[in-house]
Amino acid sequence: MLRSKNVSLVLLVVLITASLLGCQSNATSVPASDEKNITIVIAEDPPSFNPIIADTGYDALVMELVMLGLSDIDPDGNIFPELAAELPTAENGGVVYDEATGGMTVTWKMRQDVQWADGEPVTADDVIFTYDAIVNPETGGWIPGIDYIDRVEKVDDYTFTVYYTSVYPGYLTQFGREQVAIWPAHYCDASQGFAAWDCARQPLSDGPFVLKEWVNGDHMTFVRNENYFEDGKPALDTVTIRIVPDQSVRKTMLINGDADLDMWTTEAMIADLQNQPNVSVDPSPTNRWVMRIFFNLAEKGTTDAAATPHPILSDLKVRQAIRAAIDVDTISKEFFLGYAKPVWTEFFRPPYTCDISRPKFDIAAASALLDEAGWTDTDGDGVRECHGCATAEEGYKMEMEFITYSEFGEPLELTQQFIAEQLGKIGIQLNLTVVEGSVLWAAATDGGIEQNGNFDMDLWDDGYAGIDPTDFIYSYYSETSATPDMGYNFMRWINAQFEELLNGSYTLDEAQRQRNFCEMAQILDQELPQLLLFTVVNADAHSARLQNVRSTTNDLVTWNAADWTLK
Amino acid sequence: MGTYILRRLIQTVGLLVLLSFLLFALVNLAPGGPLAGQGQNRHTDPEKVELLKRQLGLDKPLPTQYLIWLVGNDWMQIDKNGDGVLDSYGTRQGIFRGDFGFSFRTRQPVLTEIGQRLPNTIYLTTITMAFAVLIAIPIGILSAIRQYSAFDITVTTFSFAGQAIPEFWLGLIMILVFYAWLKNPFTGDPLLPSGGIAANLGRFDLWDRVAHLILPVLTGALGWIAWYSRFLRSSMLDVVHQDYIRTARAKGLPYGVVLYKHALRNALIPLITLLALDLPYIFGGAIFIEILFSWPGMARLYYQAALDRDYPILLAVLIIGAAFIILSNLIADIVYAYLDPRIRYE
Amino acid sequence: MNQSSLANEFKTPVLTAENTSMGAGVWKRFRKHPGAIFGFFVILTLAILTVLAPLSPYDPEASSISERYKAPSLTHIMGTDALGRDLFTRILYGGRISLTVGLLVVVISMAIGIPIGALAGYYGGWLDAILMRLTDSFLSLPSFLVLILLSAILREVEIPLFERNNVLTISLVIGVFGWTTFARLIRAAFLTIRETDFVSASRALGGSDLRIILGHILPNAIGPIIVEATLEFGYAIIEESGLSFLGFGIQPPTPSWGNLLSNAQEHFTKYPWLAVFPGLMIFFSIISINYIGDGLRDAFDPYKVLNKVGEV
Repeated sequence: MLRSKNVSLVLLVVLITASLLGCQSNATSVPASDEKNITIVIAEDPPSFNPIIADTGYDALVMELVMLGLSDIDPDGNIFPELAAELPTAENGGVVYDEATGGMTVTWKMRQDVQWADGEPVTADDVIFTYDAIVNPETGGWIPGIDYIDRVEKVDDYTFTVYYTSVYPGYLTQFGREQVAIWPAHYCDASQGFAAWDCARQPLSDGPFVLKEWVNGDHMTFVRNENYFEDGKPALDTVTIRIVPDQSVRKTMLINGDADLDMWTTEAMIADLQNQPNVSVDPSPTNRWVMRIFFNLAEKGTTDAAATPHPILSDLKVRQAIRAAIDVDTISKEFFLGYAKPVWTEFFRPPYTCDISRPKFDIAAASALLDEAGWTDTDGDGVRECHGCATAEEGYKMEMEFITYSEFGEPLELTQQFIAEQLGKIGIQLNLTVVEGSVLWAAATDGGIEQNGNFDMDLWDDGYAGIDPTDFIYSYYSETSATPDMGYNFMRWINAQFEELLNGSYTLDEAQRQRNFCEMAQILDQELPQLLLFTVVNADAHSARLQNVRSTTNDLVTWNAADWTLK
Repeated sequence: MGTYILRRLIQTVGLLVLLSFLLFALVNLAPGGPLAGQGQNRHTDPEKVELLKRQLGLDKPLPTQYLIWLVGNDWMQIDKNGDGVLDSYGTRQGIFRGDFGFSFRTRQPVLTEIGQRLPNTIYLTTITMAFAVLIAIPIGILSAIRQYSAFDITVTTFSFAGQAIPEFWLGLIMILVFYAWLKNPFTGDPLLPSGGIAANLGRFDLWDRVAHLILPVLTGALGWIAWYSRFLRSSMLDVVHQDYIRTARAKGLPYGVVLYKHALRNALIPLITLLALDLPYIFGGAIFIEILFSWPGMARLYYQAALDRDYPILLAVLIIGAAFIILSNLIADIVYAYLDPRIRYE
Repeated sequence: MNQSSLANEFKTPVLTAENTSMGAGVWKRFRKHPGAIFGFFVILTLAILTVLAPLSPYDPEASSISERYKAPSLTHIMGTDALGRDLFTRILYGGRISLTVGLLVVVISMAIGIPIGALAGYYGGWLDAILMRLTDSFLSLPSFLVLILLSAILREVEIPLFERNNVLTISLVIGVFGWTTFARLIRAAFLTIRETDFVSASRALGGSDLRIILGHILPNAIGPIIVEATLEFGYAIIEESGLSFLGFGIQPPTPSWGNLLSNAQEHFTKYPWLAVFPGLMIFFSIISINYIGDGLRDAFDPYKVLNKVGEV
């Protein structure tokens, strides 16, 4: 009885183990030998096909497989037309600047040979439909530049005009890039609203692939769009996206040939994949995400740098000392495995590059600067206090809170700890906090740390997509942006000369823009409202058999999925 | 008995309403605000935030929001486009009618999200519990019968150890040993997979499913086996020393019969009650297992929602979880009363 | 069937009796429990080690880039972590936090639970009903999930006492869910004693309520309370570790056993010591505490000596 019970249990265990050992199969689907199928592995399901709503990156990834925008940007920063027949410019009469009102109109001519997967043509009606849905106050969304648009009018089935209330240099990618696609007017349900319509989860395709199946938590299957407007493309028959949360499993899949593409590959994985013959990792030609330290020039908890300046950081010498005390090369080598490139100006990406000399890593100079500024350590506890400093009371301790966000991962947290230590060596004490990005960047009314100025120094990354930095610079450095919830000038930095140059760059005169940008670069280097450290690599590891994959900071790697081929 | 159950059920509903109010207040008083999770984007544009607030009904005062959450707003007029004029009826039905709102992150109905994940959790936890009970019962019985033998002492010691090992650590060690170190002698691949339900959910491959179950189930079950075997052992010992057992033996009944018909049956009663009390584990207790082994279940959904501050999901999971616990307590009481006639007459 | 073979089958022991005072009896019985003695010494050693942690030549939070990810060796007996910090030192400092949190949680739980249980048991009636419903509410919540929610919310809050990353905050959060058993124990003690004869007798003789409480109820309750406090100490350590592991408890760079395990997750297949040692610490602490609790339970139960049966 009992003994037989035990024996049968043991037998069962033995049987199971034996069969597992013997019958372990690589249980991935084996494609038919003549079918061209690739597998992309990502960490989680995209919330939908509409990146404007949640913007996790995964949504843009899948959107690029099935939908088109008016235009897009290639990895080198060149804008090219997708749904547009040609790009409107001042030269070809597509862009008309109105001297009197200061506004401009942009007339787009669309291709006439693009169809939705159900055979309906893609027309200007779809563009108007998309625009109306976006600006709907109840159910819409928000994209950059939308506030400059007064109205969009249809001229004929394949032509429409956008009326801007003022010059907006980013007009070429207004309805394109990684966030905005054109949605089908006859398929999406306007009453459900842009933010929640079902067609964002069951899209109608006009892109190279069509969504066939989505098993949440497991995989998505896309098949070739037979109606795709580019002849002979796409070369692939099916694209399968597998949800694989574990990074090491994705790596193993790439090495074993079970996966063809990994999105946003981390530095550690890149290093591990370097010597694998059947895996390639090609970083994008430019980098977008710049890791930077934000100095709160206003006192913590306040937002007006003039009224309540920060007792420590409002002194330029202190900021310069901090810059001199951080060893960016070591950070890049140790925590980012050499894949982070030091950067020290906002204008480092073509076509707007400016020549600013690289600041030196010099601890002695940093200490000297702090001594000069009136911060010395008289009580021997290793932390400086104010003795004759310009910005704080006598005896004020040089202690601050240093915040970073958790979603990036271990390299950033280690960097934060390392920087705190380095600054500790020159007598600045930093107390570390790691918060969720959602809390850091929330709106002021929701208690967002940045918007409310509840910080001293922050460390996180950002950068602009595309080639035009104007919107980005405006939101981070303009005077308007210093007001809570009006922008991201969390430093509360206001500089009249900079402001003038910035306003002057809202022009279509490229030479003028270049001159303005480089003068602005000089000011930023001198004033140091932010301390730029390095760019983070952007790469998507792929199997050697998958050709034409081009990683880019201007979009997700699927931007040119139509061009991919198999060796 | 019937009135007793009815009374308990009414108390249950009351308790749940109270809990719902507390949880709702708690969640909304958080300074990040219920929209905190939307800031994943570095650029929360204020227009977007305002829009979101109106869309999600967060621009109303808290008590109103609570009311809407409970009973919906499709019976009242709301101002949809923010112009101050009430123009249409709402679309929410409230939780009493099964509408738990929409996830902030995906805008899908909360119940849909939960519905997608719950089967995976139940699949894992029922197998874990079943496995644990199947192992614990024989071990507990043997331990009791061979009290103070080498077997008993070993088991007791392992029991203690098993209850002291943190689940999250055990999972890491399992992955370390069975995935990183041990290799399948035939293929050179890791011996067991380190996560997920299956290598290919589309196809049902029994050995693959079993392989993916081994590590999570072992990790999760160890604590339960330790606990149940110990409990069964002591329960068995209590029973075995009762007079009626001695009487049965004195009457001449064979050893096995006494063991199964009398001792075991009675010793199992407290265990079954314990099992009923532990039912809530099935719903969301395997949080560490699901996270470590990338199991797309309820607890992992909750964890992700906590990181994202996706409050509708958090609230729904907590309320449903609480309902589950209260119900399982009730079931435990009823089962115990049913199985043990002695207490029925109290 | 004769007596002795029955005894052999079910090992019914022969009854004996002892005659000592309660405190001495407890200690004597405790001493006889090998597991409890083992546990006691382990916890004592751990406590001493954590107190002596500052004596370590290594700084638990200072990075040392050249020493990153070193395997255990003579200079670093448990190896180093991602920033080159000595793991053994960090584990000791983490132990300080874990043990402190454990103690604080027990104090807080008892401070909340005992008054509630006492009030409910003493006054009975509607107060009892309300307090028991309150207890039920707390017991009905999936407590670990609510802990996560509470920690997440408290991390953003700027309430004066509740700093982020504070040991006190974490202890309060965990303690708020640990009091229910204490309340029930005290209440049960009150209830069982209240109706007994010697209480009526005591009252008849003019004894005050306070005397009854101190003289009868407390001595009866103290055994289970001490046992429960010990076990609660263990639960608190595991809960704090679990919370920190998920990222909701103690934040880096301050080490806690839980967040040491969490940090290990990324690379532990390459550097296993990062995962093995912190977990071993938790394991040894908990098993020791459990043995102590077991020993205490046996020690406080005079019938145990008589029966020597069934150690629950």
